[in-house]
Amino acid sequence: MTPRFLRPDHLDGVTEALAGAEAPSVLGGGTALVPDLTHRKVAPDLLVDLSRAGLGGVRVEAGVVQVGASATYTDVLATTDPAPALRLLRTLAGGVTGGPQIRSRGTLVGSLSYANPASDVPAAMVALRATAVLASTRGTRAVPVADLLTGAFSTGRATNEVVVRLELPAADERPGYVKLKLAESSWPIVTAAALVRTDGTARVVLGGLSPVPVRLEVGADVVEVVPDHDDRTVADALSPAVAAAGGEPWQDVLADARYRARVAPVVAARALRRALTTTSGGAR
Amino acid sequence: MTVRLTVNGEPREVDTDPTRLLVHVLREDLGLTGTHVGCLTGDCGACTVELDDRTTKSCSVLAGQADGAEVTTVEGLADPDRPLDPVQQAFWDEFGFQCGFCLPGMLLCTRELLRRDPEPDDAAVDLALNGNLCRCTGYAGIRRAVHAAACRLRSDEVAS
Repeated sequence: MTPRFLRPDHLDGVTEALAGAEAPSVLGGGTALVPDLTHRKVAPDLLVDLSRAGLGGVRVEAGVVQVGASATYTDVLATTDPAPALRLLRTLAGGVTGGPQIRSRGTLVGSLSYANPASDVPAAMVALRATAVLASTRGTRAVPVADLLTGAFSTGRATNEVVVRLELPAADERPGYVKLKLAESSWPIVTAAALVRTDGTARVVLGGLSPVPVRLEVGADVVEVVPDHDDRTVADALSPAVAAAGGEPWQDVLADARYRARVAPVVAARALRRALTTTSGGAR
Repeated sequence: MTVRLTVNGEPREVDTDPTRLLVHVLREDLGLTGTHVGCLTGDCGACTVELDDRTTKSCSVLAGQADGAEVTTVEGLADPDRPLDPVQQAFWDEFGFQCGFCLPGMLLCTRELLRRDPEPDDAAVDLALNGNLCRCTGYAGIRRAVHAAACRLRSDEVAS
């Protein structure tokens, strides 16, 4: 059955449309959902296109970064604010596979909602302690992204809800973002977002290792050895923590779970080094 | 639903299901077969068009999403009986294609890059073209063509 298609020009129109459907899909940029429709992986009764609902833009207010539902990777790349979260997101956005055609159309909120374990956005948003604001006809609610992600391709968003924006708190942290991919046009294998705090400790969040992002706390004793040691040595120091933090394994056609587990500490070490050595967080 | 598009400068109206793919509307309803159907997953870039001045993979856009938009396809670059567009000519001169299947994406992404960055280095070229897969050239001729096009456009600008 062909789904109905609506493109409301305000948020109330979006939530009312979602409330009246049985199995609706929310269309952000469409770079993930449209191919899924083509290949009949999803069969919604209604498609609600957000592009006219006024949900775009990346804003910084009092240090809090707001990423609207329609904000694309290109929108992120056009920002210049030095907030650590945006520095990390600019690095992430510049490395998204698929070319400018995808970066100008794909949205960060869409990628988060799609919740592919091997995509860039979910783990980065957990690292940045993002909160998702969801709207429905019953009102809005705010959910930490770490709680919203419930599994591979699965979130706590109800079918009649829409994620309207992500809010990233201000933080005096040094960001580093690194991902491993096996070819220029490949999906990420493992991603690591590192945030080094002023007290010398760090948190690193790994994507692609488990169905949901894997969070690591790294002590100042490990962080301080990074500048004087190679990635292999730092990775060895991180390995026990990565093994302990990892949940159930994840794998897809590009890499099996053992490979991901092997490379994850190295990618984490590189992200820490990036955070410590580049003032821009590696931003393009 | 009536989908209104401006395609290569001309207003067009198509009566279609809004959930059809834009690439199918362009090829089947408007006869613009220069835009190619490759993977239908958003990976290969053969279906690239400009949608409101931004390159987009038209296999990943529904007709309803494109309603009201300006679309430029590869046919919009130059008339068949007129000289090639400078970017097309550079790809021709530098062996930037063989079979031509990926060419619409390569040409449109190159135009978009050179509007933004008239003198790109290799890294900028790779970043601009990394959404287009070419199985013939090995990309070396494509890089050369982009630099040649940049050079040509810069000298055209000086001349005019």
